[in-house]
Amino acid sequence: MKNILLVFALLVTTLAAPVLAQDDMMMRWDGADDLDVNPLSCPGADMMEGDGGMMDMPEYDGGQPTDAPDLMGADITLVDIPKLIGIGYFAATTKGQAQAAEELGNVMVTTDAPTEANIDDQITFIENYITRGVDGILFAANDPVAIAPVLTRALEQGIHVVGYDANSEPHAREWFVNQAEFNGIAKGLMDALAEEKGEDASFGIVTSTFTTPNQARWIAEMWAYTNECYPDMTWLETVEAQEDAILSFNQATTLINKYGDDLDALFGMTSVATPQSAEAVTQAGLCGEVAVVGLATPNAMRPYVQAECVKSVVLWNPVDLGYASVYVMRAVVDGELKPGDSSVSAGRLGDLQVVNGSEVLLGPPFVFNIDNVEEFDF
Amino acid sequence: MSGRSEAGVASLQRVTPVRMALILISLVMLIAWAVLPWIHQPELGPTLARVIAAERSANELDIQRQGLSLPPIAALVALGVAFWSVLSPQLSRALALVMLVAGLLGLVYHVTFFVDLAESGRNELLGSMGAGFWLTLVAGVALMAQFALPRKVVPGHEINKVLGHQESVLALGILALVIVVGLLNPRYVADRNISEILQGNAYIAVAAIGVSMVIISGNIDISVGSLIGVLGIISGAMVVAGYPVWLSWLTPLVLGALVGSLIGFLVAWLRIPSIIVTLGMLSILKGGLLIFTNAEWITGMPTEYALSQQKPLGIPMGVYIMLVLTLIAAWWLRNSATGRAIYAVGGNAEAARLSGISERRIIMSVFIINGVFVGIASVMFATQLQVIQATVPPNLELVIITASVVGGVSILGGTGTVIGSTLAAILLNTIRSAMVFINVSPFWLQAVQGVLILATVLVDILRRRRQLT
Amino acid sequence: MNEAGQTRRPGSRFHDLLFSQEGVLLVILVLSVLLLSTRTDVFLTVDNLLNQGRLLTEIGLLALPMTYIIITGGIDLSVGSIFGLSAIMLGHSWQNWGLPLEYAIFVALLTGVLCGLVNGLFIVRVGVPPLIMTLATLALFRGMALGISQGRSARGYPDWFLELGAGEFLGVPNQLWILVLAAVIAAFILARTVFGRSLYAIGNNELGARFSGIPVGRNKLLIYTFSGLMAGLGGYIFVSRVTTTRSDMGTGHELDVIAAVVLGGTSIFGGTGSIAGTMIGVVLIQLLKNGLALTGVTGDATIVVIGTVLIFAILVNNYVQRRRSGESGAGAA
Repeated sequence: MKNILLVFALLVTTLAAPVLAQDDMMMRWDGADDLDVNPLSCPGADMMEGDGGMMDMPEYDGGQPTDAPDLMGADITLVDIPKLIGIGYFAATTKGQAQAAEELGNVMVTTDAPTEANIDDQITFIENYITRGVDGILFAANDPVAIAPVLTRALEQGIHVVGYDANSEPHAREWFVNQAEFNGIAKGLMDALAEEKGEDASFGIVTSTFTTPNQARWIAEMWAYTNECYPDMTWLETVEAQEDAILSFNQATTLINKYGDDLDALFGMTSVATPQSAEAVTQAGLCGEVAVVGLATPNAMRPYVQAECVKSVVLWNPVDLGYASVYVMRAVVDGELKPGDSSVSAGRLGDLQVVNGSEVLLGPPFVFNIDNVEEFDF
Repeated sequence: MSGRSEAGVASLQRVTPVRMALILISLVMLIAWAVLPWIHQPELGPTLARVIAAERSANELDIQRQGLSLPPIAALVALGVAFWSVLSPQLSRALALVMLVAGLLGLVYHVTFFVDLAESGRNELLGSMGAGFWLTLVAGVALMAQFALPRKVVPGHEINKVLGHQESVLALGILALVIVVGLLNPRYVADRNISEILQGNAYIAVAAIGVSMVIISGNIDISVGSLIGVLGIISGAMVVAGYPVWLSWLTPLVLGALVGSLIGFLVAWLRIPSIIVTLGMLSILKGGLLIFTNAEWITGMPTEYALSQQKPLGIPMGVYIMLVLTLIAAWWLRNSATGRAIYAVGGNAEAARLSGISERRIIMSVFIINGVFVGIASVMFATQLQVIQATVPPNLELVIITASVVGGVSILGGTGTVIGSTLAAILLNTIRSAMVFINVSPFWLQAVQGVLILATVLVDILRRRRQLT
Repeated sequence: MNEAGQTRRPGSRFHDLLFSQEGVLLVILVLSVLLLSTRTDVFLTVDNLLNQGRLLTEIGLLALPMTYIIITGGIDLSVGSIFGLSAIMLGHSWQNWGLPLEYAIFVALLTGVLCGLVNGLFIVRVGVPPLIMTLATLALFRGMALGISQGRSARGYPDWFLELGAGEFLGVPNQLWILVLAAVIAAFILARTVFGRSLYAIGNNELGARFSGIPVGRNKLLIYTFSGLMAGLGGYIFVSRVTTTRSDMGTGHELDVIAAVVLGGTSIFGGTGSIAGTMIGVVLIQLLKNGLALTGVTGDATIVVIGTVLIFAILVNNYVQRRRSGESGAGAA
């Protein structure tokens, strides 16, 4: 009995050591995942928007399906497997896909995905659809590496694979519809904050989990961009809140309570965290005092934007993202988008550019505010 | 009955654990009040001197701003009650009630100033030491502890008996955390944060009341998380569709009872182990939720629907609901025939049967009651925010069950109280919030939570062993 | 069983087998497979079934010790977290400590064993109820995985390492061989050894088992450690299959595993159960998920069906068992 307690005490101490050894640097989780960051130039410097690697167009680095049947112009059946179902963001991409399918007339697309953002379940879903036999798979990966083997298997079976929202390793899919470059999002967010709260603002971040690749990349880019352009800003803390509304609200409230006056702004890194951060600020009666900047969908943000609690929200249009993904898939199947091409036409979105070898760029992220929030419904 | 009166006589000369705890809590509070602000703003001098200075300047707003006036009053009242009750223990329960009233009065007093303060900016709000909540916290703990007070006086060392109940352990754990973290970062004990701590897990506490009863009866319910999600969505969908608000609040309770009776029927009459029934229910409800909602979140509820966002007297509605339901349930479990039968069925089903208790009827009622509590929890859940999510919070059922078992409900059935589970639910949120405040690296947060749960359980086990020897 | 021997009809051996827990479940399994195969022709193919075998291996491995544990009346909710922690330790010790990958695999298994040992020690020596202990370590181990990895994933494994997860031997996925081997050994130990029988005794009456000289503590310690080992092995196989490690791997596995075990006829109160039943449970759930997906049922509807099947399978089994015990003259307890 005593021994066990000793073991327990030891366990606690060993655990406590790294916990207590964390200095402030560790608090400020900067999304580091050993990948290179590529911050854009600061505002005011020469506007060289979109210069990231556009000069020398890299080689196509996507994969190709083996012996894909020739389905040019034929009816095709697609399946869309996002990270999870049950959140507004992917409901919006699904909507865009349905719009594209209706316009094209020869595409059938259904969405099916796990109820939690779980890579294991997502793999199982993809396996099942490979077996069932579809013409193309659209995906948003829960993990870029873990999803690669199963996507490769799909390619080997002659199934076309196009990603959107969250990429996989390039060789495991043909194309990836990139909603916005990571550094572009980071710049958009930080500039919005600087404009609202000044270049010496201090802020906290509410994200989904530390292991979600997109969010980790954005935060890493934000960190790099802040160091470069806003050295006087104070990066307080990053907290996890899953993709859960209540938890996001509680975590945002805790940050507000913890930092009090020292907190100028909250960043929401997901379409769930941002509205709930705004809700937390609203319920705390701190509208205007604490700014909320983040990525979110207009419908969720409308009340806060209209109440002028949130000045501006950065987002690409997820409906357009879903829409583009179906058009890209159609173009791939019809042979209109081949390795080496530099653009692809995507219905009402016009011509989309190819970047980074095998990515189709949706366009610059846009900012919506009280003037234009009414124009969007998704 | 005779045991009860004997105990009354025996405890007359004794310092009972609860009173001991009261005294300790009050002393700690008093010391914390005297020392906390001083440590953080040493240039302003000793707390008492500040209060006296402020009183002299007759600027009550100043006193309020510094959050200084009420804690000593609260602590002194509590101390008085504690000492008095040592002398005449028969009065203790009544006195605890008096304290609660005093606490609420103090709160009203406090809140009236807050209304003024709200207009003068947020700095003052945050600087306040949260006197009202100190008061209600102590009063609430005292009242809960009174319910938990044993009728029988166990011979042994006094200090052992202070830790004589899981409830006291949890209450002390909460207080210790609040005080320690408050020392490190005074904003932790600001009204707003204490309010968040109490409110944040209120719906979990309410659900845990029902689940505790289920566990006490020797069963388990792991479908609660999904059920909360489903009922919340239904409630929100109804109010958005134009049904009256009261009906939208009431329907989840009725539906919860219906689902509960279905589970109860499967468990009691068809004899399927409850873990299997509810494991199945978990999947059915979770999947059904997504089919029903088509994965779309519900928004645009009318403001009067937002029950959890209402704040009578400055305290979130959820806290009232949680406290009232906990006390009612605790009283009912303790004193009603059915309540006692639940313990009997969970402790020894055979003996219960022999003594004429219908096991089936009891299990059926337990699951129906659980359904109602889950229904209430789902309304609290749904009305907390401007949206109702179409997904169930991850691991919600595990959090609820954790609250129950950490609260001292034995998973083998037969023992436990709902006061413990409510305190445990509050403790879990206290921990979550504290982790952020004392800068525990977010990566280690979950691990620390695990250790703390384990520590609570170990203290409980040690305590029980010591009682046996 | 007392009078059953005398009233037994000829040919009742088959009758017994068919109407045993496992028999009934097997019938349900066969029926659902047949039903599903009429709906789609890609379901009942060797390729698909073998592929499903690959996917169910991890759950299957976790389900073996879980059967033991539930038979003794315990439970282990921390398996999913041990699974994740082992996976993280594998990647971490390889990439950050610079260990050769072979040793890193060993580290992963060792991590699993240690975690299981911690569970076991607290449960046996301190007397923490298994549910509470493993509820705490569910958070603890997951938290350690996150803390150690700092949220980073380890990737870039060499090809030989991925062979286990992606390759096949004699046309059957590699990991399926491991699962079959482990299941056979586990079944043999449970049914034919003193140790195995003692688990039933512990589950039926722990105090009685103690008094009759069974080393209850040691045996329980062993099975919780075994559970950790299998979680470590599962984690290793999973990393090898998905070619990366993440700290959230295995989240929610505990409920899947428990569902499979109880579906397989193991009583949650302890004392009864078998490895065969568990394996049928694992296969049934996996094939239902797969078959329904192939026939065009979406994921959300699938979990509704799984939940219903879980309840109904037990319902049918209960009914059959009660009638059976009624037939053979033994009153239902």
